[in-house]
Amino acid sequence: MGRAYSTIAFDPAKCDGCGDCMKACAQAKTGTDDVARSRIQIYGRGDATEKDFELALCRQCADPKCVTVCPAGALNKDGTTGVIGWDASKCVDCLLCTVGCAYAGIALDETAGHVSKCDTCDGNPACVPACPHGALKYITTANIYNEVGDWEDLFAPGLAGCQGCNTELLMRHTLRRVGPDTVLATPPGCVPGMGSVGFNGTTGTKIPVFHPLLTNTAAMLAGIKRQYKRVGREVQALAIAGDGGASDVGFQSLSGAAERGEQMLFMVVDNEGYMNTGMQRSSCTPYGAWTSTTPVGETSRGKTQDAKNLPLIMVNHRCAYVATASTAYMEDLYEKLDKAIAASKTGFAYLHVYSPCTTGWRFPSNLNMEVARKAVETNFVMLWEYTPQEGLHFTKSVDNPLPVTDYLKAMGRFRHLEPEQVEHIQKKVVENQKFVERMTEHAHVG
Amino acid sequence: MTTATLEKAAAADAPRKQKVILAEGNEAAALGVALARPDMVSVYPITPQSSLVEHLAKLIADGRMDADIVDAEGEHSVLSVLQGGALAGARTYTATCGPGLAFMFEPYFRTPGMRLPIVLTIVTRDGITPQSVWGGHQDAMTVREAGWIQVYCENVQEVLDTTVMAFKIAEHHDVMLPVNVCLDGNYLSYGASRVELPDQADVDEFMGEKDVNWHVALDPLRPMAVDPLTGGTTGKGPQTFVRYRKGQCRGMQNALAVIEEVHADWAKRIGRSFAPLVEEYRLEDAEFAIMTLGSMTGAAKDAIDEARDAGKKVGLIKIKTFSPFPVDALMKALAKVRALGVIDRSVGFRWNCGPMYQETLGVLYRLGRHIPSMSFIGGLAGADITIPHVHRVIADTEALLNGATAPTEPVWLNEKD
Repeated sequence: MGRAYSTIAFDPAKCDGCGDCMKACAQAKTGTDDVARSRIQIYGRGDATEKDFELALCRQCADPKCVTVCPAGALNKDGTTGVIGWDASKCVDCLLCTVGCAYAGIALDETAGHVSKCDTCDGNPACVPACPHGALKYITTANIYNEVGDWEDLFAPGLAGCQGCNTELLMRHTLRRVGPDTVLATPPGCVPGMGSVGFNGTTGTKIPVFHPLLTNTAAMLAGIKRQYKRVGREVQALAIAGDGGASDVGFQSLSGAAERGEQMLFMVVDNEGYMNTGMQRSSCTPYGAWTSTTPVGETSRGKTQDAKNLPLIMVNHRCAYVATASTAYMEDLYEKLDKAIAASKTGFAYLHVYSPCTTGWRFPSNLNMEVARKAVETNFVMLWEYTPQEGLHFTKSVDNPLPVTDYLKAMGRFRHLEPEQVEHIQKKVVENQKFVERMTEHAHVG
Repeated sequence: MTTATLEKAAAADAPRKQKVILAEGNEAAALGVALARPDMVSVYPITPQSSLVEHLAKLIADGRMDADIVDAEGEHSVLSVLQGGALAGARTYTATCGPGLAFMFEPYFRTPGMRLPIVLTIVTRDGITPQSVWGGHQDAMTVREAGWIQVYCENVQEVLDTTVMAFKIAEHHDVMLPVNVCLDGNYLSYGASRVELPDQADVDEFMGEKDVNWHVALDPLRPMAVDPLTGGTTGKGPQTFVRYRKGQCRGMQNALAVIEEVHADWAKRIGRSFAPLVEEYRLEDAEFAIMTLGSMTGAAKDAIDEARDAGKKVGLIKIKTFSPFPVDALMKALAKVRALGVIDRSVGFRWNCGPMYQETLGVLYRLGRHIPSMSFIGGLAGADITIPHVHRVIADTEALLNGATAPTEPVWLNEKD
């Protein structure tokens, strides 16, 4: 499998053209404040309105045209880092590369008298932290791909998930990570609905997998794990369950297993409702959301109660490990997956993954990661972890959250909200953040 | 008495010496479980089962039983834990009753479908409401259509012996179904009597090798998807579902022969025999019979003896195996009589009679000969079925024999108690 590389990503919606990134680059690369010499350039578009900026920066292309057109062999892509390097000793200053690049990623530095381009500052780009608005990010999730890309995908290709399903992505990553010595429980919901256990004799999973009841996932897994422990075999017990089965009808079994410290990893895929059965409300459905049982009509404007915070309830079981995660923050998710797996060797590990549902939440299927990211950037969802030894702490703190409307407007299930409903949600977001912050302050060591 | 020491053909086959103890039914059940050496027991207390699981916990705590004990947070999880354990190869056991059994129903119905040979003692208790914590068969009767094998015990010795045999029956490859050993709450659960405790080595030889998940397993060494979606109208859905259900029914029918074999083997190795399906008591020359289930049989046999002494030609038919219903064995017994009274310790709401009576009507139809019969309901919510109560049953049934019209409603034996 090919190699993936880290890259600098630009979000034009967050850029106000302040130029701090260019200043940082100029300082780092030329020791001057001459932004004309910066290797990252921000341009306003034509008759630019205030927030309409474009990025000129080397994309470190996989099929770099600059390299192809260079007659002197002065440009080369490094197979390890993916960075396209420029060799001054070979360059003949023909500038063909600047013509070849479609992104204006390599340009003439007039002061220096030759071309210059981004080298990502050896993986620590100066421009990224300089941006006061978070418009620039250095994306390093390629490391995950490079590490696990060759591991076997233990779910069959072509599972019957909805287009753009976040949960399918999560399942494939999770099973790659836990590996084949696993027994997987997938209670009724989207996960078996897309074929993990299978239909009429076929199966979608290459490891032992079963349907527990919606109500007894944790209990059945506990029995399995205990027997393997009794006979001295190391088998990972893993549940991938929906929020409904975990927070509603399966909660007793979950709570009981957590209290007993049963050795398993219980992963909840929170798509905030019973999406597989037709998008009904669960206790994890947020306030105001349309669902098929909290419809919008003459006398009704969506769900009238706030969501149950299941991961915090699990913290109060003093589980060996509890964390929230999002597929929009894969490195964070992988770190938590590793810790949860380790914790499940000695106790109950609980991982709550927010999983936007393109079908049930009503947004285009190509926007799943965007919606997942906005949830975190607005603090609608908070990423944290807890262990009894170290208490609770944020793994991704959002000090200047975007207004919650940035999240709500991304999907149809909130389209009907009245201003006072939005106000309620914003107020709850702030309250929830303060609540969790207080838990971090007290460290919540139990 | 149901206990009879068999003649031993060869001294080498003789059972090892058995310790005689005094035990309540709940303790006897726990001792039977210990003898069967399960890997896992999962427990949740409920009256009148509680002392049974307390005994189990103590046996394990004292090192007299090597099993993992899971104190689950409710009966629903109790059975679910065991399902997981069985799928990973464990021999598993639990006990419950009444409301606990009702709460357990979701995994309960699923257990025979997955063909998991779990043994579950029902320390029978009447159904609520009216609120009650006392004995009665309503709990076990209510779930009789869920696909479990259900056997009822008459006395404490039979509880102990049947508990061990239940594992052997459940795990038989022709059966692979869960078994309920039903012992009457209050009467047997708390009734202490003399019990002979089989020698562990004899029981080990009787049990043989454990092999509980050869057919379905959750094991990375034998990866398979357990219980994928079946049925519907597409592909092989309908036939797949039928194959599973039909197999379950076949397992139930196979159980009839297996229950007989296992009881015979137990008698040979341990030296005590019990009628495996249907017991006939003083039936050979009887003109009419009464039918019983569970601990009431003791008083009923005494009443039969007294009636015989008074010259009445009455016998008794005791059902031990209620599910699968022993149609052939019961037909054989019924063929000998000309009137029948059936005593139930529970209610069949739909037919306004006892459930065992209703089941028996089907057998009477198959017999192809009209036998007047009637339903008696007694012993609800801990009420006594005494010898006088049984004499009432004998008298009413004898009246049927002499041409009286059978009532369309059941006779409620404790109506004026």
